[in-house]
Amino acid sequence: MDEREFREVLKGAVAGIHEDMEEVLRMYMPMINKYSMRNGQLDEDLRQYIMIHVALNISKFGI
Amino acid sequence: MNHQQDSAHDELRARFTKWLDTLVYRAKLNYLYKDRKKVETVPIDEVGEDCLSCPGFEDECIRGLSGTDEIWFEEEELEKAFKVLSPARQQILLMLFVEEKKPCEIARELNCSVQHVYNQRSLALKKLRQALGKGGESLG
Repeated sequence: MDEREFREVLKGAVAGIHEDMEEVLRMYMPMINKYSMRNGQLDEDLRQYIMIHVALNISKFGI
Repeated sequence: MNHQQDSAHDELRARFTKWLDTLVYRAKLNYLYKDRKKVETVPIDEVGEDCLSCPGFEDECIRGLSGTDEIWFEEEELEKAFKVLSPARQQILLMLFVEEKKPCEIARELNCSVQHVYNQRSLALKKLRQALGKGGESLG
């Protein structure tokens, strides 16, 4: 994805468009997975908590 | 011109990545904090009688339940400002805003007047506002 597309997707996610939100989560899944590790194992509950937190707060990002 | 636009887009991606990294990190800390605050339960059958009859066991349980030894702050600056306050003022703010006790209850527990609680509260909030240096309207 080039930078122009990225901006459009991010704009959509910030505006609350579900498809764009999913795309952003998909793009940043490695980071989310990294933070979802607990004691060397992936904590599914933590990952879900983080994704909900991102979905609820992404509108606060100023483009 | 094109090069300028590209660098602006690059800047956006970098800025968003950094912002998201902080957001996710804080979400994890919040989750771990909430998880830690969950009260562990043990079936009564698994608790030995010697443990129940042990003096101080009940106190230890109560201490574990109240668990106000460490407070999680959303804002780092607020945490720093809070630590500058005197222990007495910290205690009053914790009782007011974390334990959500009424000033009259706090006065009874601390053996002081209700007016003293109000005074300490307003002085502590004033100090916090000064330390944060931005009005602190949300502190109430």
